[in-house]
Amino acid sequence: MFSYIVLVPMVYVAIAVFLVGMVTRLVGIYRAPKHSATLQIYPKRKPALLLALYDTFLFPTVRRHKPLLWVFLILFHASLLLLILGHLELFKDISLFQIIPHSDVFIGGGWTGLLVILCILFFFFRRFHGPVREMSVPEDYFLLILLLLTALFGSQMNWARIWYGYGELDIEQYRQYLLSLLVFKPDVPYELMGTGHSFMMVLHVFFGNLFLMVFPFSQLMHAVFSLPMNKLRRG
Amino acid sequence: MDDTTRSDLLKLFRGKLDRAMRFYLETCTRCGVCTEACHVYASMGQTRYISAHRHELVRRLYKKYFKTRGKIWPSMGEARALDDVSMQELYDAAYSCTGCRRCMVYCPFGIDTQMIMSIAKLLLVGAGMEPDILTLLADTSIEKGKSFDMFKDNFLQGIQRLEAEVVKKWQSEAGASVIPVDVKGADLLYVALAGAHSIIPAAAVFNAAGENWTLSFFEAVNFGAFVGDPTRTQLILDRIINEAKRLEVKEVCICECGTAFRVMKNLSGNQPFKVTSITEVHARYLREGRIKVNRSKLTEPVTYHDPCQLARNGGVMDEARYVLSHLTADLREMTDSPINNWCCGGGGGLVALGEETLDFRMKSSRVKADQARATGAKILTTACENCHTQLSNLNDHYKLDMDVRFLSSMVADALMPGA
Repeated sequence: MFSYIVLVPMVYVAIAVFLVGMVTRLVGIYRAPKHSATLQIYPKRKPALLLALYDTFLFPTVRRHKPLLWVFLILFHASLLLLILGHLELFKDISLFQIIPHSDVFIGGGWTGLLVILCILFFFFRRFHGPVREMSVPEDYFLLILLLLTALFGSQMNWARIWYGYGELDIEQYRQYLLSLLVFKPDVPYELMGTGHSFMMVLHVFFGNLFLMVFPFSQLMHAVFSLPMNKLRRG
Repeated sequence: MDDTTRSDLLKLFRGKLDRAMRFYLETCTRCGVCTEACHVYASMGQTRYISAHRHELVRRLYKKYFKTRGKIWPSMGEARALDDVSMQELYDAAYSCTGCRRCMVYCPFGIDTQMIMSIAKLLLVGAGMEPDILTLLADTSIEKGKSFDMFKDNFLQGIQRLEAEVVKKWQSEAGASVIPVDVKGADLLYVALAGAHSIIPAAAVFNAAGENWTLSFFEAVNFGAFVGDPTRTQLILDRIINEAKRLEVKEVCICECGTAFRVMKNLSGNQPFKVTSITEVHARYLREGRIKVNRSKLTEPVTYHDPCQLARNGGVMDEARYVLSHLTADLREMTDSPINNWCCGGGGGLVALGEETLDFRMKSSRVKADQARATGAKILTTACENCHTQLSNLNDHYKLDMDVRFLSSMVADALMPGA
């Protein structure tokens, strides 16, 4: 019962909260008046938009001032992109998502998830010392824990299959389940709820749902705001 | 704090929430990249001087009163109530921040701490907790704009005395009017500071360049901006805009005052005149050959301090170097680029508060003194009144043994006749 609630209704609710939340947040912010003066930092270089994209995706200021953090940030965000793509690939019907050809396992073969987890642990423990400790607020830790749990249970499903030879659950069942959600004919294969590792799957989806619901209302929105903010700085 | 005061203050807060401000308040991830950006933290090492910590104080109030999550579960984001204690914290954060925006260069998102501090400053004005002297100075400026006729005679007499000094030092070729005032149809309106040092050298250079200029009745400095009061800032600005329009000038040239330049350039809106700094104008005169200066006059090494509001926040960097290249063969740049230059530690109204902030200004700017000393220069020049005062204080305090000078006076002193 709990499994079904998490795997079906909660997913829909989470996605609805995510979408509605994003739209209301963005509308709220973009309805606010523009700042009356320029906020740029000089010297101004062109093309400003391209440079803002560079700032947004490659964090040059972090590379300059905190090189170690930068390495982890880049690995983390690049891995996240791969993970997002990996999940989209599960919709096998949609050829648009199958852009990276690889064998029939989750993209990165388990390493991407491991990398993300190591990065999260780094982000988490660096908050325990130095000035960052005094600046951190509880939600900074909670978001990392939420992300860690999501990634851990997600990866574990993958690791079990490819590294320990666990065979009761395979990728076909995820595909079947996700597609059924997408076409609004929810159908959870028996293996996803009844086999030994299925609780991992359920917990992964549970924390993933929470993450989606929290996203629009937390500083995770930096993912969206970073570009317009960097554009303000670039002028 | 009673409820009425609080709700009035929150109204002021809400008024500041434009799009950019919301971005800035929503986004900080407290990653700590800005840690070493602030000269106060770099000099004194206290966490409360890290820029993210400063704006977190404002953000905590924002979470409490403008965010649902701050209402449902305040401790999650450490949302804070607006009370006398948090107001005092805002005071400490806002008046230890010089608004130099060096941290904005560090931040991966480009959060503007100065702008967030403007909320703190406005709340302090609303609660009557701002430094009285800044408001007083701002009101004096505004009053002068309203009832100018009362001040006019004194002003003109003062100018006459200055004219004599200009003539004594520089053989003026400008004819009868050494310091023209109230000239309709002049090309350039020069907005100076109250003080001979801001008028005399400038007049000498304008006259040498044969500029068709006129001196503004008003001083450039905008105390409204220092105290963070948008209404007063605008009123002070409007005096100059109205004068420029009345005289139909093509250009408004702001004296060596970083804040005045940035405020005028950014907030004057679409006007029939352009806004320039005197450094840019001097560079132009040199480039066009309208003035000639003696390059061999200075024998000692020179270094230049980029005023934050002029350089990083105003875009005037290369012009100062161009001018200096005509004055000296031995310019010793400070380490790091102008965009990363340390603030002098006197901005944001701190120098205007004088003795009251002197101790803090000296302690918080040790890194600036070290940076200047490391150049090995004997002359420390800059193009901002605030910076000049602060650097002079630092020079005394840290025994830098440098000669702190205005760039514009160096140009005036090096003028050669007959360009």
